[in-house]
Amino acid sequence: MIDATTLIWGVAIGCIYVLLATGLNLIFGVMKLVNFAHGELLMVGAYVSYSVTTALGLDVYLSVFVSMGVVALVGLAVERLAFRRVLGADKLNEIFVSLGLILIFDNVAVLIWGENSKWLTSSFEGMSVRLGEVFLSYDMLIAFAFVVAILVGLIFLIKKTKIGMAMRATSQKSQAAKLMGINIEHVYIFTFVLGAALAGAAGSLYGIIFPFNPYIGALPTIKAFAIIILGGLGSIPGAIIGGLLYGIAEQSAVAALSGIWGDAVAFSLLIIVLIVRPKGLFGERGD
Amino acid sequence: MFTKENFLKLVQTTKGRIALAAIAASFVIPLVLRDNYMLQILTLIVIFTIYASSWNLLASSGQGSLGHAAFLGIGGFTSSLLAINLGVPPIIGIFIAGALSAAIGFLIGITCVRLKAWFLAMVTFGFSIIAETLFSEFDDVTHAILGFRPPPLLFSQRLPFYYFAVLISITSVAIIYFIMKSKMGLAFRAIHQNTAEARMIGINTAKYKLYAFVLSTFFAGLSGAIYAHFQRYIHISIFSADNSFKPLMMSVIGGLGTIEGPIIGSVVMVFIDHFLVNIDPFLNSALSPLFPAVSNVGPSIRLVGLGIFLVIVVVLLPKGISSLLRKVYHYIRTEPSKSEKP
Repeated sequence: MIDATTLIWGVAIGCIYVLLATGLNLIFGVMKLVNFAHGELLMVGAYVSYSVTTALGLDVYLSVFVSMGVVALVGLAVERLAFRRVLGADKLNEIFVSLGLILIFDNVAVLIWGENSKWLTSSFEGMSVRLGEVFLSYDMLIAFAFVVAILVGLIFLIKKTKIGMAMRATSQKSQAAKLMGINIEHVYIFTFVLGAALAGAAGSLYGIIFPFNPYIGALPTIKAFAIIILGGLGSIPGAIIGGLLYGIAEQSAVAALSGIWGDAVAFSLLIIVLIVRPKGLFGERGD
Repeated sequence: MFTKENFLKLVQTTKGRIALAAIAASFVIPLVLRDNYMLQILTLIVIFTIYASSWNLLASSGQGSLGHAAFLGIGGFTSSLLAINLGVPPIIGIFIAGALSAAIGFLIGITCVRLKAWFLAMVTFGFSIIAETLFSEFDDVTHAILGFRPPPLLFSQRLPFYYFAVLISITSVAIIYFIMKSKMGLAFRAIHQNTAEARMIGINTAKYKLYAFVLSTFFAGLSGAIYAHFQRYIHISIFSADNSFKPLMMSVIGGLGTIEGPIIGSVVMVFIDHFLVNIDPFLNSALSPLFPAVSNVGPSIRLVGLGIFLVIVVVLLPKGISSLLRKVYHYIRTEPSKSEKP
């Protein structure tokens, strides 16, 4: 049974997964890089928002842009210092580097912000609009609007701009793109930074809706991968549909069974999908 | 396999001598040290050697599991619950645990063999979460949430237990060694390097990947069972992601795909876990003014260090400490014959 409240919570958490999954999908599509530390960027994004709102008194929704910028810089450092050096070699190496990064990010966050849960308080805290029998909180609506705006901007960037075209070309055939005079090194950097910025935005929005601690990053990463599999590799519309479906499935499991089942049911679903269709629901390409 | 000529051949090669020396050392060291705490650490190293080797075997076929703790936990709970509820002697229980773990590994393996490396990493990670959820949900049967105290494994004294663990560990590593040297091991490496090519030359990649999964999860379950009887306590936390990442770090830091890698890795990691704690007071006095948010900065700084260490090893030393030792050895004795990697 899916009631309206479950559906709304599913869409809200799904939106955040969509942002994360889209960034991950871009990075995977263009660079063929498996970044298991992507969720850590979400965590950093939430904390950056927390810092700028508490220290500078900035509005939480403005802090989304700050955290996008800061996390983009963090992403730049991660790409240059770590991933660049193992790119293209053994896929397992990328997973190992990711794990190292998870350890580093989690514990640096513990050192800076402590282990206790934090949350972002927006100026619309507690306000909601009534729609039939359900209440939609302003925060969820604004988060939803943010996600839509970011995705529209992203699709425009990819479809209409020169760098977007270069990204698509690199994603299809990096060698041919290189031959056409595209500096794929720059494309890689841009893609990773873009993906990181999306994760930063996701982090701020996550922090507005849920409390967070330094260890929240790992599960959303795995879920984002699940969404990519559901939605198909390299497909942005797929990631959007997959993210929303996943969020709703997870919240339904929480509502129908109990809190601890949320993750397990979602993963069981994923494993079943992989048994039936190893390349994902909408996936066409294997690699 | 274990004939006299083979033994003589073993003594003649450097590799064989190192292996024999390591075995001899593992028997002699506890007698020399005569220290209870050290003995406990040595036993942990020995148990983690089995666990890390099992992970390494799976990784040698290109399948990097991020959820091996699921099998460690299944093994631990199986043997412990059998002993408590049905009175099965743990010495038999640990092998039943391995077998059950392998059976479940077979089922997960069927799903995983068709998947690419990153899908597989995700499915295995997801499976460890599913296992954790199931074990805590069926707490009436598993008693996982509060944990319980399984009986000792043959010996309750530490020294005999240590020797027992060493024997099991040597046997396991030897079996894994022979697997890796066999045609099957060759197939694993071929699949790891290029699955499409491996398939082209006639290797049934799905079959071999499944073999790797079953064998690996057997040893993981076995090590989990021994671990539970060693700690004399088992709890839901055995499924933690930390336990899933440990064998990975041990294998990678020691040397991925080599037989000695997981051994070196488990020595290094267990030592780091138990002895680096001693620098905490120093770290606290030096650095805690910088980080007012935390009361004890030591553990986090050590973990950051570990993360940096892992990244540096992967980037600069893709074959781990073992390759470094090999380079040193070749530098000392420039013998052209010993290129061990086939």
